[in-house]
Amino acid sequence: MQRPDWAPETIDIERPSVARMYDYYLGGSHNFAADRAAARAMVEAVPEAPLMAQANRAFLRRAVHYLTAAGVRQFLDIGSGIPTVGNVHEIAQRIDPESRVVYVDVDPVAVAHSQEILAGNERAAVVREDLRNPEAILRHPEVTRLLDFTEPVAVMIVAVLHFLPDSDRPEDILRTLRAALVPGSHLVLSQASDDGRAGTGERAEAERVYRRTDSQLWIRSRAELTALFAGFDLVDPGVVWVPQWRPDAPDQAEEAERAVFIGGVGRLGG
Amino acid sequence: MGDDPAATGRTRPGAFARAWAKAVSGTSYLPMTQAQLEEMLQRLTDRLAQALRADPFDLRIGQQVGAELVRSHIASAEGLGRTVEVIQLRLVRDLDLVVDDVEDRMARLLATVATGYARALRDRTLDEQESIRRAAMTARAQAERALRDSEARFRHQATHDPLTDLPNRTLFTERLTAAITTPGRGADRIGVCFLDLDRFKVVNDSLGHQVGDSLLVAVAQRLRQALGEHLVARLGGDEFVILVERTAGTDDAVKVAEAALDAVREPALVDGHELAVSASIGIVERPVAGTSPLELMRAADSTLHWAKAAGGARWSLFDAERNRRELARYALSAAIPTALDRGEFYLDYQPLTSLRDGRVLGMEALVRWRHPELGVLRPDSFIPLAEETGLIVRLGSWVLAEACREAGTWSAAGGDAPFVSVNLAVRQLHRPDLVPEVRGVLGRTGLPPERLQLEITESTMMSTVVEPVRALRVLGDLGVRVAIDDFGTGYCNLAYLRDLPVNELKVAGEFVTGLRTPTGEPGGGTDERILASLVSLAHALDLTVTAEGVETADQADRLRAIGCDAGQGWHFGRPGPATAHMGT
Repeated sequence: MQRPDWAPETIDIERPSVARMYDYYLGGSHNFAADRAAARAMVEAVPEAPLMAQANRAFLRRAVHYLTAAGVRQFLDIGSGIPTVGNVHEIAQRIDPESRVVYVDVDPVAVAHSQEILAGNERAAVVREDLRNPEAILRHPEVTRLLDFTEPVAVMIVAVLHFLPDSDRPEDILRTLRAALVPGSHLVLSQASDDGRAGTGERAEAERVYRRTDSQLWIRSRAELTALFAGFDLVDPGVVWVPQWRPDAPDQAEEAERAVFIGGVGRLGG
Repeated sequence: MGDDPAATGRTRPGAFARAWAKAVSGTSYLPMTQAQLEEMLQRLTDRLAQALRADPFDLRIGQQVGAELVRSHIASAEGLGRTVEVIQLRLVRDLDLVVDDVEDRMARLLATVATGYARALRDRTLDEQESIRRAAMTARAQAERALRDSEARFRHQATHDPLTDLPNRTLFTERLTAAITTPGRGADRIGVCFLDLDRFKVVNDSLGHQVGDSLLVAVAQRLRQALGEHLVARLGGDEFVILVERTAGTDDAVKVAEAALDAVREPALVDGHELAVSASIGIVERPVAGTSPLELMRAADSTLHWAKAAGGARWSLFDAERNRRELARYALSAAIPTALDRGEFYLDYQPLTSLRDGRVLGMEALVRWRHPELGVLRPDSFIPLAEETGLIVRLGSWVLAEACREAGTWSAAGGDAPFVSVNLAVRQLHRPDLVPEVRGVLGRTGLPPERLQLEITESTMMSTVVEPVRALRVLGDLGVRVAIDDFGTGYCNLAYLRDLPVNELKVAGEFVTGLRTPTGEPGGGTDERILASLVSLAHALDLTVTAEGVETADQADRLRAIGCDAGQGWHFGRPGPATAHMGT
């Protein structure tokens, strides 16, 4: 897995990419046979997988709406994947065309695809970096060009943390990112959880499916995800099943635990 | 009661639109709120109602509705299935539509919606597939470019000096080898200039390595600027090398070397210090044919040392004859240790004869090397080498021990047996174990200390180091004689004569040679007067005087006349085995 800095990786479309699997769950066709095979295996193990992806995407949309309403006009979306339908810059720039968005992903194909989508958009860019290297993200010329860190920034790490094991020290990564933010900035996190599902065997099955992809699953409980908001004040209703986070309509939050994803938004106080 | 299609554009969603929205939500991700979805579906509902009523039936409306659904991301198989289901079950009823042959029209409407939907979904799928493949190709091209860049970077790192970014030895050797071995280059000539800064170590030692490094960077920059067309490499330390390809003759390489010297000579402002530096350059320029990179580098390196030895701030040109001599010298010095082990050295002796009574007072030990190939070598062909390399210490020890051993066997024909006089090199004198060594040798051989004389040169005593003086004093107290060799040719600092335990002055042969000249001629009288003064000076200090290089009886007579104590030279006996001078 660890590749020396000087050795570039190869592009292997025979290996399932979690970014393209996610696109498949969302009904997209930005994927290859290997991605679809893995995604179908996942749906077999956890039939709610497409629902999970949709619920998480809807959470992202509502979070961006919330953030723009809170006055945030700068977004750093880390682990953005294939930014197809309903991506951050579409939502944010529809509300305020001055909104600035930088996408970050480690998957070179996702980045190349984002470059194509963002071509001609002066206020949005994509950079190829790894969440595990937050210093490199923060000093990336595109990041520093588009984002003004003396103003509030929303850092979004949505549906990504379950690919980051504790051994990668997510709390340190988040501390580094937090240190770069001014009060009024926000942190959006969501990830897969098996709260209330232990013993169904789904988790083991899902982990088995993801073992053949480019990223491994690391499930966290609500308490664990809440702990990762350290330093931020959780916005109401805190860390919940994503459909329960400020739903458009009350009935949409029904059977919220089927979404498997938990998430929340934190605000950096001053 | 039905919705009125003729009402304003922003119609409130009716029961059918709400039911439709409920049916399709969850079939795929919809980037909008439920309210926005219902609003959008209300617009499509109006179109469907219009299609059902239109006469004649318009195929396009249903197809447009199907395409519009896909465009709004209601773009999954389930989305279509549920749409068909909800239209079939509820459209006519919820909108309260009254249409002739409604079943027939409904079938055709569903067919057009499904057709438009499937067509749009297929196009969208193909577009997305194309776009993700393009992204994969772009990513692959980017990865390949990164690979090439990293390979180039790796190659650059492997072939360049990190401090100055000049090519390093590896790249230089590659280029030199290519210049020599490339087919068709056999008729060419080639030049190599080895450059080394003079006294760079002083900069490093006095101003620190950082300043030293900055100076190297400055020098590298200038060399690159001045010699742009020629490859300039840094070999390490303050060593640089310039490759001059396709020279027409030696002059071409010399011009490059002069340009390099000029470039270095300009004072450099480094970290606030104005540093005036100079360089030395060794130049080799020769035909490509018959040479090798290794040979060229080696030759340039030796030539650089000639420039250094000549005082630096200059270039030297390779000279094959000189190189041969140096190589021979080098080979000779390298052979000394083995020769010692094999017993190839032996001693000859030359008598120091009393001018008063002709008695042999002492004998100077002179080392000889019976070289297996070169025959017997005199000390001047290997002692300087041994002094340069430090082998003189081992050789000197051997001479001391051997001389004492032989002297121990000498018996006097009448009176005292002669002492043995042994030359002591500067390096031997500086060794802390000189005193114990002499003591040990005397102990082992049983030679009385009074029968050992150590000859040191004047220049040895010029040194301000205290250690040798102390050693000589200890040896003097022991009874060992100390003689100053070649007196009168050095700086003649007389102070040490007062302070040191010196017993004898050996006056250099040059003065004695002058005695040949009749007194009346210019020069002749001068040497005699110098000698007379030296003798009276020595006697005033209670020292004896031995004149070296005495070749004639006349010289011996004159020396005797001015009171000189002893003589050494061909007149008294040539160097040879000790026995040749005994018993005479």
